[in-house]
Amino acid sequence: MGYKKIKKDQLNTFLSELSKDYTVVLPSRSGGQVVFAPWDGKNTDFLDWYKNTIIPPKALFFPPVEEMFRFRKGEEGYEIEELMPDKRQQIIFGIRPCDARALKIIDMLFADTYKDPYYLRRRENSLLVGLSCNEPCDTCFCASLDISPGQSEDVDILCTDVSDNLLIEAISEKGSNLLSEMSGLSDAGSEEESKAKEMRKSAKEKIARQINLSGLQEKMRSNFENREYWEKASKKCMACGICTYVCPTCHCFDINDENRKKEGKRVRSWDSCKFPLFTRMPMENPRHEKWRRMRQRYHHKFEYYPMNFGTIACTGCGRCIRECPVNVDVTEIIGGI
Amino acid sequence: MENKLKEEARKLLKEGKVDYIVGYGKGTVKFRTSPLITNKEEDIEGLVINPFIANNLSRYPAEIKGKLGIVVKGCDSRSLVSLIQDNKVKRDDIVILGVPCEGVVDIKKLVEQIGADIDQVKEIDKEGDNLIVKMDGSKKTVLFGDVIFDKCFGCEYPTPLEYDILLGSEVSPRVELEKSLKKIKEFEDINAPERWRYWKEQFSKCIRCYACRNVCPACFCERCFVDVNIPQWITTYGSWQDNLVFQLIRTLHVAGRCSDCGECERSCPVGITLRSLQRKMVEEVKGLFNYETGVDKDAPPVFTHYEATDPEEFIK
Ligand code: SF4
Ligand code: SF4
Ligand code: SF4
Ligand code: SF4
Ligand code: SF4
Repeated sequence: MGYKKIKKDQLNTFLSELSKDYTVVLPSRSGGQVVFAPWDGKNTDFLDWYKNTIIPPKALFFPPVEEMFRFRKGEEGYEIEELMPDKRQQIIFGIRPCDARALKIIDMLFADTYKDPYYLRRRENSLLVGLSCNEPCDTCFCASLDISPGQSEDVDILCTDVSDNLLIEAISEKGSNLLSEMSGLSDAGSEEESKAKEMRKSAKEKIARQINLSGLQEKMRSNFENREYWEKASKKCMACGICTYVCPTCHCFDINDENRKKEGKRVRSWDSCKFPLFTRMPMENPRHEKWRRMRQRYHHKFEYYPMNFGTIACTGCGRCIRECPVNVDVTEIIGGI
Repeated sequence: MENKLKEEARKLLKEGKVDYIVGYGKGTVKFRTSPLITNKEEDIEGLVINPFIANNLSRYPAEIKGKLGIVVKGCDSRSLVSLIQDNKVKRDDIVILGVPCEGVVDIKKLVEQIGADIDQVKEIDKEGDNLIVKMDGSKKTVLFGDVIFDKCFGCEYPTPLEYDILLGSEVSPRVELEKSLKKIKEFEDINAPERWRYWKEQFSKCIRCYACRNVCPACFCERCFVDVNIPQWITTYGSWQDNLVFQLIRTLHVAGRCSDCGECERSCPVGITLRSLQRKMVEEVKGLFNYETGVDKDAPPVFTHYEATDPEEFIK
């Protein structure tokens, strides 16, 4: 199927059509921040200002707090009430290429030996409509991680903003099926296609930040015991949870039972290896000092994840750099090894 | 100022008067600085003083072993003095390098004023009372006094009160208290259900990253009550009610210790207006006990001390 297009000021007809069968979630401004929220049925002005969200799209599949099930002690043991996510189909509209890749990366973990039903059900019921980046942020370094800001294999449909039009391209079969049912789209001409190509190229060229990955895993292994390096690297860190919570691939969680008399619920919530109390509940946190915890985060992303799943668990989205209160920069830390 | 700082910092390290210098370096994000902590003379060249030195560095002395030469603005010096009052930091262990401060730029305000994305900005220069913001092919001038943090509007002590070396000449306070308290006053005028709705919305956003607590120099408990699980005070995950309780208890715990440095609000990744709570508490403490945080290192901390004249209307 070739490229389709729609006039940007007609986008809401396209979105309305999608909204018939899906809940459409897209970037919106709420309470002073940019978040993915259900579409209000009117606004499409995000095309003018949207760069990316602070809370990554992983939160749509792996929410910060999730009730897993409720339990009640009855006459004959415990009664369990399942709380699986509902089957509603949703479209994430406007996800960035880096964040779509991030979902691919954490899919490997959530669908590993243990299949996480909560995450996977939401994933199965979702369709990703990507929006390529024309103006990367100063903190973006996706290009170093083999992600192109203008392209994506990790979405179902990809949109590219070319002046007055949105160029629409089916990537997956799911995406192609959906597009063939849509009525408000017209075929794009070769002029628009070449314009899109140009924009993609220039977006990639605009990315100035880089990370050097050559021989990295080897280097990291031999640097592991270099306490001086890690102490220096972590000196200014405040040991908060920002970098892990805003990271689209960080996935650690904690599980708690909340009991009141004879009933209760099991809740899982995000957890962070940057906290001194991390893993303290089941056992002990072997990483008492801050430098060990910082080392863990980077080794997990750039050494252990590649060992386990064959891919680095960083997409270069730059959120951790931008949001860190003391500007700890992953590209500096990895680059310095 | 910057040159004087480098000169003094080098001297302190060379003469062995301090083990580390804690100051500001150039950040890796546009128009932000980053803490620079070093024991090496060759790093000193990287120290900067500019209108973007937002971090309050006084959290570091309690954590880093050894003697420190530390750079502070007016508000930060009060955090440091408060820590000295609380015996958390020994005065003899630090050499205070004071920065007389005209205010620090709040990037969010700047972005609003210029109506452009920060990524489009190439350069910002301070010329007198103006900031010249250079973008691709265009230039905008904004009034410096319009884009500084709310706390800076009401700053009564822009020149550090406690220092060993003052890096420039004293700055006279701007004290536009009304502007500084504007948001809080507006807030007080709305009715209780509206206020409740507001905080519900705010704390529904909280992701419990604890950055507000971890960057705060006044939050120095070895084990914070939220980390105590036997008994558990609040759930480790965040319902908005628990998030609110966390913040309210934190506000009470830092009462009389908060210098209105604004680090909690600046650091909060989801933009919760935390300073309103903290600043309100500053007003309360001043109103009730006529006490200001960190203005006198020899004064007893307000809540460790009893005066016969202390108000006690709350005892019924
Ligand atoms: S966000 Fe920054 S300060 Fe917080 S834990 Fe991460 S690196 Fe440390
Ligand atoms: S480590 Fe940082 S740059 Fe990499 S994916 Fe996570 S938040 Fe983005
Ligand atoms: S990291 Fe790349 S894909 Fe992600 S927002 Fe930035 S430019 Fe776009
Ligand atoms: S509050 Fe005062 S000392 Fe602190 S940054 Fe603002 S002007 Fe400077
Ligand atoms: S910094 Fe903000 S999001 Fe993080 S715990 Fe504090 S209030 Fe919540």
